[in-house]
Amino acid sequence: MRKSILLARSNLRRAKGQAAAIAVLIFLAAFMLNLWLMLSIDYKQNFERCHDRLHAEHVTFAADQDSGDMHDFLTETFEEDKRTKESFMDSCMHMVSIFDYNGGEINSEFVFLEKEAALSRPIGRAEIVEEGNYTSGIYMPVLYKSDEIEIGNTIDISIGGGRVSYTVCGFFNSAMAGSHNCSMCELILTEDKYKELMDLGYAPQAVLCSVRLKDKAESEDYEAMLKNAVSLRYPDVRTVSNSYALVSVSRYVSQTICSGVVSAMAFFILLIALVVIASNIINYIQENMKDLGALKAVGYTGHQLMSSLVFQFLGLSLIFCTAGALASYILFPALNAMMVAQTGIPYRIRFLPIPFALTLAILDGAVFLTVWLSSRRIKRIEPIIALRQGLKTHNFKRNHVPLERTRMPLHFALALKTTLSGIKNNVIVCITMLVLSLVVVFSGLMLENMIADMAPFIHLIVGETADSCVNVRVEEEEDFLKKMEEDARVEKIYLYNSVEVRHVGGIGLMAAVCDDFSKVNNQDGVIDGRFPRYDNEIAVAAKYAGERNLEIGDEIRITADGKEAAYIISGFTQTTNNLGKDCLLTREGYERLGSFANVSYYMNLSEETDIEEFHSEIKESFKNAVNAVINIDEVITGASSVYVSLMKMIVAAVLILSVVIIAFVLYLLVRTTLNNKKKDYGILKALGFTTGQLVLQTALSFMPAVIFSAAVGMTICSFIINPLTAVFLRNMGIVKCTFTVPVLFNILAGAGLVLAAFLIACLLSVKIRRITPKELVAGE
Amino acid sequence: MRKTLLKTDNLSKSFSSGGTLQHVLKNIDLELYEGDFTVIMGASGAGKSTLLYALSGMDTPSLGTITFGDQVISDMSQDELAVFRRRHCGFVFQQIYLMDGMSVMDNVLAAGLLVNKDKSGLLSRAKELFAMVDISEETQRKFPAQVSGGEAQRAGIVRALINRPELLFADEPTGALNSKTGLNVLDTLTAFHAQGQSVVMVTHDMRSARRGNRILYLKDGVILGECDLGKYVHGDSKRHDRLASFLAEMGW
Repeated sequence: MRKSILLARSNLRRAKGQAAAIAVLIFLAAFMLNLWLMLSIDYKQNFERCHDRLHAEHVTFAADQDSGDMHDFLTETFEEDKRTKESFMDSCMHMVSIFDYNGGEINSEFVFLEKEAALSRPIGRAEIVEEGNYTSGIYMPVLYKSDEIEIGNTIDISIGGGRVSYTVCGFFNSAMAGSHNCSMCELILTEDKYKELMDLGYAPQAVLCSVRLKDKAESEDYEAMLKNAVSLRYPDVRTVSNSYALVSVSRYVSQTICSGVVSAMAFFILLIALVVIASNIINYIQENMKDLGALKAVGYTGHQLMSSLVFQFLGLSLIFCTAGALASYILFPALNAMMVAQTGIPYRIRFLPIPFALTLAILDGAVFLTVWLSSRRIKRIEPIIALRQGLKTHNFKRNHVPLERTRMPLHFALALKTTLSGIKNNVIVCITMLVLSLVVVFSGLMLENMIADMAPFIHLIVGETADSCVNVRVEEEEDFLKKMEEDARVEKIYLYNSVEVRHVGGIGLMAAVCDDFSKVNNQDGVIDGRFPRYDNEIAVAAKYAGERNLEIGDEIRITADGKEAAYIISGFTQTTNNLGKDCLLTREGYERLGSFANVSYYMNLSEETDIEEFHSEIKESFKNAVNAVINIDEVITGASSVYVSLMKMIVAAVLILSVVIIAFVLYLLVRTTLNNKKKDYGILKALGFTTGQLVLQTALSFMPAVIFSAAVGMTICSFIINPLTAVFLRNMGIVKCTFTVPVLFNILAGAGLVLAAFLIACLLSVKIRRITPKELVAGE
Repeated sequence: MRKTLLKTDNLSKSFSSGGTLQHVLKNIDLELYEGDFTVIMGASGAGKSTLLYALSGMDTPSLGTITFGDQVISDMSQDELAVFRRRHCGFVFQQIYLMDGMSVMDNVLAAGLLVNKDKSGLLSRAKELFAMVDISEETQRKFPAQVSGGEAQRAGIVRALINRPELLFADEPTGALNSKTGLNVLDTLTAFHAQGQSVVMVTHDMRSARRGNRILYLKDGVILGECDLGKYVHGDSKRHDRLASFLAEMGW
């Protein structure tokens, strides 16, 4: 053991640069791996902890009628259902509200609660996270904490048809109603402001129910049951609800995306580190054959020599893996801040022993296995043969680039000879470049479809978009439509309403109802088959269909408002809105089940239309007939800005990491090449080759593998990136991605990678300057 | 009047070893002439190879100047020296130093194509030289590890001569060869010298030194003496005696 450790120390001293480069790769892999494990193991559990701490409900339900009759009915419904564990009801106000956020607008269903009531609810209470000295105003969910929404600032909120201004008193946390990413979000008012809003009458009085279930897995079914029951008994009462299943996933979309990218990067870097270690050991054995033979000759066993390599690399791995894992805590606060902006649930950063231990175990285990497997050759070395360099192998069978016949310029030809003589190097370059190609193509995809132009991402995540959405009472619908059709600014108008239905024998589905699906802007909404055209057709979420083995042409039964009807599946849809639990129905199709009290119309407006002005005119013209107007662009900007920021950070990190990885891998390969070809460089210098020419040759020798793997990698990845992204987003309900692959970006990025690799290789090869022909003599 | 190819003034070379400065070459003034086969002799550690590598621009002197024609090579940068070497010098090494990954022919062409872009002319020259040193086409296609030591060294001579250098430097060219192959290599060098090639050779072997017409004896970094042996004639026993007496005089 002691001998092996001494040998390991001696090896490390002799190859400090190489050890440093491997250490950096291990450090980066541990950094990413620990970050991923923290995100996937603990970060998501934060929701469970928050849910438990606030004794939160599994189903939240609000109905716009705070009457004794409603209370009795709900109490009876809860008691009758055996799945109910405990429930609580209190009063609130409920209305669609709009406020500015992150350069856009938040437009969502909000319930307004009085501060003391909200903080003292026995089920689903809120907790104040931060507050100032203001005694009159509003407490916002912590999600909305931003430059514009800060303690002491004034926030203007449009509630129903009115507009109010409140001082932000503080921020609160609520497990089930703290984000617009769920169906319903909570806003807390101080007692005076609550009374004031009640007097203003902008938002109707409502009952807010919180139900804890015996089995939280039943939350979606229970929610559907509750909505159905209320809509049957009170068909005119508006309701809004959240289920544990929906909230627990939708509040962690950014965490899902981030941990997916980080895990991919972690394993890519680990793979590269292991390949580099394996190659390093193979080269070490080749270069030190004489020394290894001598050591065996004086009595070292193969096992001892292998152990020395294990100690050498495992020692490095242990130190830098620990450092990398600990360093990930430096980045975690920034990442956490960015993700809290989407989850809205504060996360307390602390040392997490399980991810840390797993990081060490995975990385060190992988390093140990790689070293042990790639050093097995040492066992077969016979001292006498090794001392005579008998194991030095060269394949002299073929001269692939005879200078006599080649038309290539001399330096290219000599570089190609080097390339062909270093197959192991080429394999490492290829693996590295293939991995980086995937990473770069993914970055390009996100840049094109999320950062440069949000529309493809929005279509995938949100589903349907337009310029304006107006929700009107159904009795005014005809008049409204007539006026809109006469308005020259309205280029297109179609009904697009969301209602909840239930698949008989299945679960509750969010149905998008449209009078004519040929008018919808997102024609990619149906990924297989077609949109429904007739009243007996339905398009269902591809993810849900897959889970239930439903095929196009199958008949399913749908129920809503106490009625039931059969529909034929005309196609499969996908959006992440309801996590892959949605469907599409024509208006006639839905009216077989129920009717609307209010309808939402989506409109595309002419380019020069001022949407705000247009909305003001509509409100003025239709007064109380209009329930809400939504500037969809603003809403999308507000809601998606956090994803865009997150993706920008991920893309930037990924691109920087790519360059760092290329640099380290090339450093190791160039160093190996310089060591292996030191004598050749000396000879070539003696013959009159300049340092510049040899640097060029060395850098060029990596280029065939770099160019080949970048071209192949970029091409293959361009084809597989959409299916891969779909796999990655499957939990969110995505089964097929049709993002535009930015061909020009990929070509430029590929060229950039090649150029970066060439420049880095040139830079690293400058060490050739130190090799002098005189060393040839001195070395012998 | 003989034409001077290379001239040194006050050439000195020192190395720092273990904190102590060692003066390997001391104020050497020397002229090398066109058409000469100059042999540098001396005991081990006398500074022979150091002098050879300084003269050939492979190493830079600590003091003094080396002039080749009107170029002061001692003032040149490493890259300028590389260009100087490729244009004016050829090298034959004791350890041969053919590149393992290249065929014998490629070893020669790699040096040739660096200077001469006319590939067909270069190939003719290479084939002519290979024929002169008796290396077959089959051997030309082989890799260094597949040929004998003598063949490799003769290929090394071809490589050194491919660019028609004004000066051919040879550092113990027979040092790593057996006596028969060594003799063969010496015959090759002598033949090229007979055709007008200027040669500077370092050796400590009398049999090799006999091939030169001018013998310099180096001791402790100083040229102790010089002997003119005249034109080499095979089997000339007086030549051997003259050299032996010179070396004896030098304390060999």
